[in-house]
Amino acid sequence: MIAALRARRPRISMPGITAIGVKELRGRMRGRRAFVSVTVYVLIVAGFTWMVGRILEDSARQQFGFNPQFQSASIGRGIFAALMFLQTLMISVLAPASTAGTISGERERQTLDLLVVTPISSVAIVVGKLLSSLTWVFVLITASIPVAALVFVYGGVAPDDVLRGYLVLFVTAIAFGALGTFFSALVRRSGAATGLTFVAVLVSTVGLSFIWVFLRASSAFQVNAAGVPTADRPAEALVYLNPFVAQVDVACGAEGGTGSWCQIIAEVTGDPSVVNQGGGVVAPVAVPLGKGGVVVNGGAPVVVNDVAPTIGGQRDRYWPRSVLVLLLLALALTAAAVQLITPTRRWRPTRPRVRRGRRTEGTL
Amino acid sequence: MTTIVRTEGLVKRYDRTVAIAGVDLDIAEGEIFGLVGPNGAGKTTTLRILATLLEPTSGQAEIAGWSVNRNPNEVRRVLGFMPDVFGVYDDMRVWEYLDFFARCYGLPAAARRRIIGDLLDLVDLADKRETYVQGLSRGMQQRLCLAHALVHDPQVLLLDEPASGLDPRARVELRELLRELRTLGKTILISSHILPELEELCTSVAIVDSGRVLASGRISDIEQRLRVGSVLRARVLADGETLEAARGWFAAQPEVASAAILRDGTIEIGFRGDEPQTAALLRDAVAGGLAIASFSRAASDLEELFLQVTGHEESTPSEVSS
Repeated sequence: MIAALRARRPRISMPGITAIGVKELRGRMRGRRAFVSVTVYVLIVAGFTWMVGRILEDSARQQFGFNPQFQSASIGRGIFAALMFLQTLMISVLAPASTAGTISGERERQTLDLLVVTPISSVAIVVGKLLSSLTWVFVLITASIPVAALVFVYGGVAPDDVLRGYLVLFVTAIAFGALGTFFSALVRRSGAATGLTFVAVLVSTVGLSFIWVFLRASSAFQVNAAGVPTADRPAEALVYLNPFVAQVDVACGAEGGTGSWCQIIAEVTGDPSVVNQGGGVVAPVAVPLGKGGVVVNGGAPVVVNDVAPTIGGQRDRYWPRSVLVLLLLALALTAAAVQLITPTRRWRPTRPRVRRGRRTEGTL
Repeated sequence: MTTIVRTEGLVKRYDRTVAIAGVDLDIAEGEIFGLVGPNGAGKTTTLRILATLLEPTSGQAEIAGWSVNRNPNEVRRVLGFMPDVFGVYDDMRVWEYLDFFARCYGLPAAARRRIIGDLLDLVDLADKRETYVQGLSRGMQQRLCLAHALVHDPQVLLLDEPASGLDPRARVELRELLRELRTLGKTILISSHILPELEELCTSVAIVDSGRVLASGRISDIEQRLRVGSVLRARVLADGETLEAARGWFAAQPEVASAAILRDGTIEIGFRGDEPQTAALLRDAVAGGLAIASFSRAASDLEELFLQVTGHEESTPSEVSS
């Protein structure tokens, strides 16, 4: 009998994920709710895009002396950046909101036990729930792609820029979704889990970035022995968790590696080419910026004005690192959530254990 | 009969509180085994350990030869569990609920369709197939939960207080259902603090209190093993001092272990003797001038047995000083 049992014991990780996914999506996509939410999302994105387009067009009309083609491209880039920021903002809210109640909700409804005693693994439960919540968010993001494609009418943005922007969006959804799942597994109440998740999202976006700005401001006026401002800036890793900065880098890429978005990225990454010196004009530079590029600290900073920008000069320097860190965070949080719902786990945080003990005692 | 569920010295401790302090169970295949005890006795903890939801602090638990600690996945395949409190998903129809759990056990689509039909027939919910789960009555939800525990045709069913919150009619239905399951060859471990419920149903019981098994085995065996004798009730036409004198008379008779006056004036006698001796006691009492209006042997039931067993030991302290 034992041998027979062993023989028919499949690794049902995938069926487990499918089971959870089918169940979750059935609930989520039932009725008009899913249809309405996608419609509302697309309407918001489209309406916003239209308004930004109007603003940029009006302001472009007031300028003169510019090449209309160039203006159109600049409007296109403006719309693209605005669209990506808006979506990053919306996804930063929607992704955690859709996952923060998944596991705590099972606990509150007292259905988690029923799930845990089935042979599906804790991994399947967490990943299945995360994926099905994310599927809904992915549907929203995907539904906005046609709106984003409108920027091609104006030009100035290449399809691969849009691709980059959407990649960052999807990763944002995964990372903040995993954050929600983690707190959902950690805390019993869905309300508390949602609250903590949003605090964590705020910390990783606004909070850490503000710390970066603070550190940058306090180091801005330090000069080295030669009287040259040191490029001693806070680590860029502090803002890796902020998907908005990654979108800034994507927007910078659309600018061809030069422009106002790139200045922000240069500020963050400490790129030597744009170090401002003595009120000089900050300008992009035509030197290759790979490793072993221009050394600033201790040497003369390179300040070059009126140099023809090299297309792609600063491209893809920052956002891939941010995306990687966000994905690693998602992985770590998912693993932690799995640990938290495995009943026979070795490691257990102290406080919940005490609480759990009392609770169980009460229901003996 | 082969043992299918076995626990040995099962202990679960939470910081300073001991939930169970060494539970030994031995349950043969095909039994309906009752775990009886007051609230807080450790029934739920024991069942949750067997269901792989809790890790025991020490001790062994095995189901169908698989260790609950070391092979939780194998245990989960042979086990159906119905917790004492359970919720249902919103936004789910009855058949979807069962379909979901059948998927969790990796059943293919054809098998799922067949088994959902069979189970809905079994628990008498076939006409509720398309109803939303949260719209079912408590008793129906209970039956649905039982059905969910059966999707993978488990050998062992663990039911924690399955009848709590059910009206009498639903209780009877549940009992019938469990009997039917037994004829299908399932071993059922059922916990309850409502004793009559188990008495009619169970082949064996374990009486637990304060985290220990005080007695276990067939109900009749436990009775024989533990009974100090029988309980007699005598209604004597007397009150005040004369009633007290009557009690004193009974207490002084041979084979009488105790005699006490109950609130309604009846004298309850703990009697070690057999039936002829009971007859002799009554004869002597009448001859001794006691006006006896009624004299009977208290019905022996599980409840009484339970009270006797749990009354034997002073309740074990569950708080461990550390």
